[in-house]
Amino acid sequence: MGKLHKKGKAGAAINYITRNQALKKLQVTLADFRRLCILKGIYPREPKNKKKANKGSTAPSTFYYAKDIQYLMHEPILGKFREYKTFAKKMAKVMGKGQYSTAKTLAENKPIYTLDHIIKERYPTFTDALRDLDDALCMIFLFATMPKTDKIKAETVENCQRLAAEFQHYVLHTRSLRKTFLSIKGIYYQAEIKGQTVTWLVPYQFSQDVPTDVDFRVMLTFLEFHQTLCGFVNYRLYSDVNLVYPPALDLKLDEGGAGMNALIIESTQSSANIAKSVKTPTTTSTPTSAVAASLSKEEKQRLQESEKRLQSLSKKIAHIQDSNEDESKETTEEDHTLDEFPTPLPNQDGTLAGAITFSEIQKASQHLTQFQSLFSNCVIFLSREVPRYSLEFVLRALGAQVGWDKVLGEGSPFDENDDKITHQISDRPVQGHRFLSRSYVQPQWAYDCINAGKLLTGETYAVGKTLPPHLSPFVEAKEGDYVPDQNQFEGETEDLEIESGDEDEDDEEEEEEDEEDADEEEEEDAEHKDLHQIELEAEAKGVAFTEFEAKESKKAKKGKITAAPTSAPATRGKKRTAAEAEEAEAKELAKIMMTNKQQKLYTKIQYGKDKKAAEVQKLTEKKQQLAKANKKAKK
Amino acid sequence: MPISRKKAAKPAPAPAPAKKAVAPKSKKRTVQEAQRDESDDEFGQVAIDMNSDDEEDMDGDDESDDAEADEFPEDDAEEGQDMSAADIEEDEDEEDEDSEGSYMDGDSLVDSQEENDDDEELEEDDEEGSDFDDLINGGDIDPNFGHNLNEPLAPESDYNPIKREYPEIDPIYDSDSSTEENENTVGNIPMHWYDDYPHIGYDVDGKKIMRPATGDELDKFLSTMDDPDSWLSAHNYKEGQDIKLTSEELEIIRRLEGNRIPDADYNPYEDQVEFFTSKTEIMPLSAAPEPKRRFIPSKHEAKRIMKIVRAIRDGRIVPRKSGYVPPKPKYYNLWNDAEDKPREEHVMHITAPKMKLPTHDESYNPPAEYLPTEQEIQEWNELDKEDRPKNYLPQKYNALRNVPGYGQFIQERFERCLDLYLAPRVRKNRLNIDPESLIPKLPSPRDLQPFPTRMAIEYLGHEGRVRSISVDPSGLWLASGSEDKTVRVWEVATGRCMATYVVDELVTSVSWGPNKEVAVLAVACGYKVGLILPEKLFSPELTLHSEEYLKAGFANVSSTEANAKAQWKQPTPAEFDQGVRVWVHLQKPVKQVTWHRKGDYFATVAPDANNSAVLIHQLTKHQTQQPFKKTKGAVQRVMFHPSKPMFFVATQRYVRQYNLQRQELVKTMMTGVQWISSLDVHPAGDNLIIGSYDKRLCWFDLDLSSKPYKTLRYHAQAIRSVAYHKRYPLFASCADDGNVQIFHGMVYNDLLQNPLIVPVKILKNVHQRVQALGALCVEWHPTQPWLISSGADHTIKLFS
Repeated sequence: MGKLHKKGKAGAAINYITRNQALKKLQVTLADFRRLCILKGIYPREPKNKKKANKGSTAPSTFYYAKDIQYLMHEPILGKFREYKTFAKKMAKVMGKGQYSTAKTLAENKPIYTLDHIIKERYPTFTDALRDLDDALCMIFLFATMPKTDKIKAETVENCQRLAAEFQHYVLHTRSLRKTFLSIKGIYYQAEIKGQTVTWLVPYQFSQDVPTDVDFRVMLTFLEFHQTLCGFVNYRLYSDVNLVYPPALDLKLDEGGAGMNALIIESTQSSANIAKSVKTPTTTSTPTSAVAASLSKEEKQRLQESEKRLQSLSKKIAHIQDSNEDESKETTEEDHTLDEFPTPLPNQDGTLAGAITFSEIQKASQHLTQFQSLFSNCVIFLSREVPRYSLEFVLRALGAQVGWDKVLGEGSPFDENDDKITHQISDRPVQGHRFLSRSYVQPQWAYDCINAGKLLTGETYAVGKTLPPHLSPFVEAKEGDYVPDQNQFEGETEDLEIESGDEDEDDEEEEEEDEEDADEEEEEDAEHKDLHQIELEAEAKGVAFTEFEAKESKKAKKGKITAAPTSAPATRGKKRTAAEAEEAEAKELAKIMMTNKQQKLYTKIQYGKDKKAAEVQKLTEKKQQLAKANKKAKK
Repeated sequence: MPISRKKAAKPAPAPAPAKKAVAPKSKKRTVQEAQRDESDDEFGQVAIDMNSDDEEDMDGDDESDDAEADEFPEDDAEEGQDMSAADIEEDEDEEDEDSEGSYMDGDSLVDSQEENDDDEELEEDDEEGSDFDDLINGGDIDPNFGHNLNEPLAPESDYNPIKREYPEIDPIYDSDSSTEENENTVGNIPMHWYDDYPHIGYDVDGKKIMRPATGDELDKFLSTMDDPDSWLSAHNYKEGQDIKLTSEELEIIRRLEGNRIPDADYNPYEDQVEFFTSKTEIMPLSAAPEPKRRFIPSKHEAKRIMKIVRAIRDGRIVPRKSGYVPPKPKYYNLWNDAEDKPREEHVMHITAPKMKLPTHDESYNPPAEYLPTEQEIQEWNELDKEDRPKNYLPQKYNALRNVPGYGQFIQERFERCLDLYLAPRVRKNRLNIDPESLIPKLPSPRDLQPFPTRMAIEYLGHEGRVRSISVDPSGLWLASGSEDKTVRVWEVATGRCMATYVVDELVTSVSWGPNKEVAVLAVACGYKVGLILPEKLFSPELTLHSEEYLKAGFANVSSTEANAKAQWKQPTPAEFDQGVRVWVHLQKPVKQVTWHRKGDYFATVAPDANNSAVLIHQLTKHQTQQPFKKTKGAVQRVMFHPSKPMFFVATQRYVRQYNLQRQELVKTMMTGVQWISSLDVHPAGDNLIIGSYDKRLCWFDLDLSSKPYKTLRYHAQAIRSVAYHKRYPLFASCADDGNVQIFHGMVYNDLLQNPLIVPVKILKNVHQRVQALGALCVEWHPTQPWLISSGADHTIKLFS
């Protein structure tokens, strides 16, 4: 006979602990516990058997992993919380008595906690931190646009703005921006940093109206953690590319609304040089202390100091502002050297991994470098009505030289009359004065170019024209998914501009035909046995799926035209129906022999599939209707 | 002492309330009373003695005037007395005021000089006391000794040893109120408690104080009109009457209204008394010299300061810097790639899921097909926030400049935050399998041919539901029993109706005798079973043989009568001409008739007959046996084993296998269904199938288990009939949904190999559903892979 096991001594009964038990164990208030949970990243669990986890009770309760709570008991922050509580009591007492000098002393000795150890604990490696950066960035970019209220301190907003600018600078510097998307919620950016994709959402530049139904204590606790995380991540990112962190802030530019340009990015070697050459005490002191000092003093002093600093750094600034191109070249060179190592590509299947050859990797890396210098030959001017911060970031991240209207803030390297401008982005119904040397495009052009991975013709995006739909670059079309307007980018690269110049209207019709053809061709399995293989190859090359499909359909179309139009498809269709009917019957018969469990599972899966198919069906029907309506309108 | 004051101001109001209590409603009377009041007032000017005639008269008047007064005669009397007493006191007061207004406050009663009868006793005591004093002190001592030293003595001339004059009482607030009469003792209570009572409280003696009469609103109004001082009066709830305020009281009110101190005499700005003067005394209180410590530095302070100094030197106290700046977060390289080890995979560690990436419809300029229609927008708006599949509606803007800020941005971020720290995280294994892989791989039906696939012949002619069909052993003839009270025999190959037998009851079951040597058709209709010899269908020899075979039993008459459960009877000549040869009459309606393989025995099922539900009849001897003395449950179907002396009985839920030779139960099959409808045994005898009204078909392997080897549920309605083919590995079922389903059911000789069941054909809507009934009976052709089915739509169909 086996050993008798006592109930409640093993398994779920001791693995989980309810929230109230945790509170008792930790001797903290619920509010403190919540803060701890946020900072430490502790989350409730759902035990498989709640009854077992709750000692036989079925009352609804929140469960935590018992070990999480056990570790919390030794958390230094918990002690700090308690110290703070005492401090608050003392403070209240002293203030009540009106002993203000004592209160001042107390306030200066206020217990302060740091989250460094928690960040290290939650993200043992830098990659872990990068993986979890999405939420942090979203938060920081949101709070960078928040107004100062009684709950949100001005310093917090300032810090968020700074962290956001720093991160953007890094992305810009390393050219790691990959995808962008203008959604109704805001602008999504996706960057690839050290093999991790980091996606963040930035609200459109409007002042946020602070809602009343949001608990800002929770938000601010999160923000506190995210700020620290972002700070450390930024430090690491900057030091990895040999930049000084924290970058100095050019106060004059900052006040002129230069945005992220107000940060003075210096590489570590050059700053050392400057420190040597200029031996004034202000410059020898570390930038952190200088900034801290400058912040604490009055505005005049701050400005004076920053001016001093500017004088000393003027050479450097000039160097940075003029030689964006040089930097980009340098980085690309660096990339070249790096690319010779076989780095793993994120999108590749395990099956394909064996088939990767060195040449393929090289191709992929070449493609990447091409993408990174997408706008390198463009000098782009932003008119006053476009969102400068977003566009400047996006364009400069891919190598463009960007200037802007004075209304949009200080720091523009060139003005509107400059001859070297190739594109001007403006968002107005009619463009009045035009320079012939440049093309006038709408802002969507920039974002679509990035998503397409190539420079698109400006004509479709010309000022005042109806824009083509803006699609999400994050959607990876799977089998059976609805793919909207596949040929959106077909024949629109600048290389083909001359050929496809006149045939805009024809193109549209062709596009419709293409879709129909494509649908049919998908069914022709015999002809395209190796389609999947080709697809995989294309993926290895880094060709976007939509683009690839467009190509394929075009190829197929050409093939079709050469072959005489026969009635083959029709007959095939009939045959298929008979065969299909038989197959369907066989399926129906086979279903009889399924077990009950299998039947349920099957219906469940089928339900999901049907739902998806219905959605696709709905969209296609809608599209057909719209096309019909359009045709009618034209006639 | 407000009451006495009031009395003073309003000399004799007391009798009036007594009147009012007596007759509150008569207006005339109140007027008279008012007059009386006036007269009372006049009385008030005169001093009245207690028990004065006047008072008595008044009471007397009351009694004479009013019959209602009888209700409270005692109270009246008392009140009268009380009132009179009050009057007396007033008079005293008046006297006091008149004579000794100049006496100071705080005078005690001791020196008061009163001539009243009430106080006579007291006075006498006082006198005795004084006498006693005189006795003690020998007359030399001040006679007032022990009374009040502060009191100035009355002038010698006034002093009267017999009747002492006491100083008069000044009736101010502080003065004793012992002279008060008619004090309501209820205390400080809400007076509305007494609203429902005739009295308003109790006096010191515990007697009830009656509520003074109050007139209605009109009276009040009139009285206010009549009385010029009514605006000066206030209502005393304790006494339930209006009292007129004195000028002093009015003055107090006025002062209170003016935010002034109520007492006019009080001076709030009196001169300050300097207890500790600012002047230096010429002679100090203490002449001690100043101590030395006043002139030397404090040692204690030095100690304390040194303590702080030492602490500062040691660095235990860090003196405050001039400009305090809160520390800024310092960032450094937190991660060291060489040393950092990635977190080990742990089941309990679940990383937070990333936010979902946006799809096309979130674009500011999505393709037009993504835009919702008005109906969709409405639906979206009507949905609860939690139920919405997406938290936004796709929208299209022509240009980026038209895109507004997203109102829900902060809320959505907040929700994400909540999700991160409040939502329980669970690892969910997403089944990523192809649903087609769940469908079992079965051999193709094509490889399992032959089986019937399409309808070949339809047998038309019945005018009622065709409940039962049977094919004769040769396979040439098909018999069908219908609810139109006929039995028809059809030629299988052509569909011609060869014979029609009209019976007098609904036909529930028909069955051909399995013996090829004897042509006999058993027909169950109503309470009897008929054995029919279809004459013209068979060869004369066979007919003759059958005739003899059927007749043989009538020789054995005695046995027929022995069993009362079943009576074997000759048909009438008319019936005989039709073809009926034997009738077996049973006690209850027969539902099923089934033959033993040899064709001599047949069994009948009459579910209503409890013990004799199952009967086995022997054709040659016209004998009937009752195999079960007790039946367990309602018998649905019975069946002979195709090769062994076994017998299967299907009750509502179980199928039991009996050995007829050894007369014992062999096996009970647990079907797991609710209600068995049909039963068939495989021709090899080792397997059986049952159909049930709860849409299930169960296949039992008799060697394997008492539980079904396979339970299939594919019919949409109750299964009516199941049947095995005699030669081919086929079986079929039909149900009320009108469908007939054909299976390939291969049984292998190898005991280790399980039977193979493959559905091969669904014949859909073979029979129309009529009154919730569809296909009623299926039967296989004995030699060909043909299936014959009958239905509620009066048709029989053959499938080949």
